[in-house]
Amino acid sequence: MSKISCGIALCIPLIFTIGCTSNSSTTTGSSGTSSSPSTSENSAQGAIPIGIGVAQTSNVALLGQEEVAGAKLAEQYFNEKGGINGTPIKLIFQDTGGDEAGAINAFQALISKDKVVGIVGPTLSQQAFSADPIADRAKVPVIGPSNTAKGIPQIGEFVARVSAPVSIVAPNAVKAALKINPKIKKVAVFFAQNDAFSKSETEIFQQTVKDQKLDLVTVQKFQTTDTDFQTQATAAINLKPDLAIISGLAADGGNLVRQLRELGYKGTIIGGNGLNTSNVLPVCKALCDGVLIAQAYNPEYPSALNQSFRKAYQAQSKKEPPQFSAQTFAGVQVFVEALKVLDRQSKVSKKPLAELRVALNQQLLKGKYDTPLGEISFTPEGEVVQKDFYVAQIKMDADGVNGKFTFLK
Amino acid sequence: MTLTLFLQNILNGLSVGSVYAIFALGYTLVFSILGIINFAHGAVFTLGAYFTYILMGGAFGFNGLLANLKLPIALPFALAVLLSGTLSGLVCIAIERLAFRPLRRRGADPLLTVVSSLGVAFIIVNLIQYLVGAETYTFPANTYGSLPAAVNFGTTENPIPIRTVQIIIFGVSAVILTGLTYWVNATKYGKAMQAVAEDPVTASLLGINTDRFIVFTFFVSGFLGALAGTLVGSSVSIAGPYFGIGFGLKGLAVIVLGGLGSIPGAVVGGLAIGIIEAFVPSEFSAYKDAIAFAILFAMLLLRPQGLLGRSQIQKV
Repeated sequence: MSKISCGIALCIPLIFTIGCTSNSSTTTGSSGTSSSPSTSENSAQGAIPIGIGVAQTSNVALLGQEEVAGAKLAEQYFNEKGGINGTPIKLIFQDTGGDEAGAINAFQALISKDKVVGIVGPTLSQQAFSADPIADRAKVPVIGPSNTAKGIPQIGEFVARVSAPVSIVAPNAVKAALKINPKIKKVAVFFAQNDAFSKSETEIFQQTVKDQKLDLVTVQKFQTTDTDFQTQATAAINLKPDLAIISGLAADGGNLVRQLRELGYKGTIIGGNGLNTSNVLPVCKALCDGVLIAQAYNPEYPSALNQSFRKAYQAQSKKEPPQFSAQTFAGVQVFVEALKVLDRQSKVSKKPLAELRVALNQQLLKGKYDTPLGEISFTPEGEVVQKDFYVAQIKMDADGVNGKFTFLK
Repeated sequence: MTLTLFLQNILNGLSVGSVYAIFALGYTLVFSILGIINFAHGAVFTLGAYFTYILMGGAFGFNGLLANLKLPIALPFALAVLLSGTLSGLVCIAIERLAFRPLRRRGADPLLTVVSSLGVAFIIVNLIQYLVGAETYTFPANTYGSLPAAVNFGTTENPIPIRTVQIIIFGVSAVILTGLTYWVNATKYGKAMQAVAEDPVTASLLGINTDRFIVFTFFVSGFLGALAGTLVGSSVSIAGPYFGIGFGLKGLAVIVLGGLGSIPGAVVGGLAIGIIEAFVPSEFSAYKDAIAFAILFAMLLLRPQGLLGRSQIQKV
């Protein structure tokens, strides 16, 4: 028996080890699904390499795949428009997986092996806190496409983001809920405690609840990997809240919405930014109906660029572009437009890489960009300055299978 | 703690625990005959859920090689589960042939077989992702007909709601436990399986085709894995290709707690861990897994044979 016990005891670290190895191997293995030409090939073709380090695998891949779609559309769009004054851009994809180690590996590969001029990524704030300092030390500009936690631009001078911080976006949803139902008094808050972004977001939500003089009756915690929320849901329902606010990711957040409704919760539900994806719809299906989510992107934003982006996305995916795709598109756009300005001063393809990376970082912080998100610019620290925010409500079709985000006036 | 909250936690624990139990039964079966944990079981569990989903006429999303695939026919749920179980059983037979048998024939260390099964698990998971992407797939709302979403075990003032699907999983675990226990102890095949588990060489000298029984055990384990994956998927959606991996780790704690190779032990272990987790206050919910594995270590130290295991392991 002792042999068996030892065997089991040995197996547990083994699983974790192999689990980790798998993540890093999928990072490098992602070359199967991505294009990773060498620097020499790039220079031979004359293309400017821009790195995309997002989660193509793991449970975060739901979001990462949306980002990949947005980046690819940007590459196609800007190359059709002539790239960097005639020189095409080439996106190099490295899979970060869903954890910090994967993000670090992907960033190192993009910086040292693929020799990119800048990186759009990673998917999660949690990953950004680990991987961005590596790019910052190597003086490679990073644009976070979906990192909304507090403190991201403060990681270093080479770190910026196009994703508006949660402190600006999140309170809009609570205000919209109160506008729809002014009788809301009791609020239950749920958040994924193993995710830096969700923790950061819930603090903002909880502060907003207090600022609006509402009664925070319970704060329930879960993990992004959880699937069963019966304990948290029933604990909250027993306190009879009028509003439930969820900060998590699509799969866990969607499941929580579903289980809250199935267990009899009838009040309003607000989803955080992690639920801000149509990938949440297949999870809670008809029960997603009515969920309110604050938005940094509206597909109906009337600019010509956004409508081209929307049309291209719809042609490919038969649905409205999600926020993460639009933000990644905007991230690539910022690099392209900043490179264009530099290229007009002196040909960027002839510049030494280290010099180009530093110049690119300085230039991108100076510009104003008309992106699918609307007009954006950056503070000297790298924080995005965005004009318009929205609140959307999920409306499911009668069949309970398809649905869409309808924007509240 | 009020009585309502206590009962709610017990029922929550039983419903979550039955999910762990139904998963751990697949581990137990293979362990009982080979003395090895088949880590590919989590991947087969996931695969079975996807099989049932597609056989029911579910359409895939826009990622992966099978993007937008929808079969022209849509089978009723019961038939889809049976077919999915059969397909997963066949996959498990292939796993036995490719990852287990060659190593067994060479008399390799059991640890190598464990590593081999882990390798198979990651191949299957990555293959699923390549084929259907990482999206979440949810079974239709009417999978279980017009049953209500939840049943209230309390009163209107003090409700104790439990989701219907969890009650179904609990019922199915109980039926499988009874069926397997009867089959192993009261049928000729079950007794032959016990003989193979006890000593394959002697069993083979007695005229029992040991390889056939091993293959059969893998088939049953695959079938149960698919059934479990489908039931859990219908409860919480198929949350991507990595869906079964988390259950794999928890299943390990369950079988050690219950007693390695013991069928009732898998069920008791599952329910025990489910109930313990349900009583973990939500502010400590991040440590639920740590608590499950702390129990595992404590059990290894205090009672290595588990709750229902015997010091001289009785396999099957």
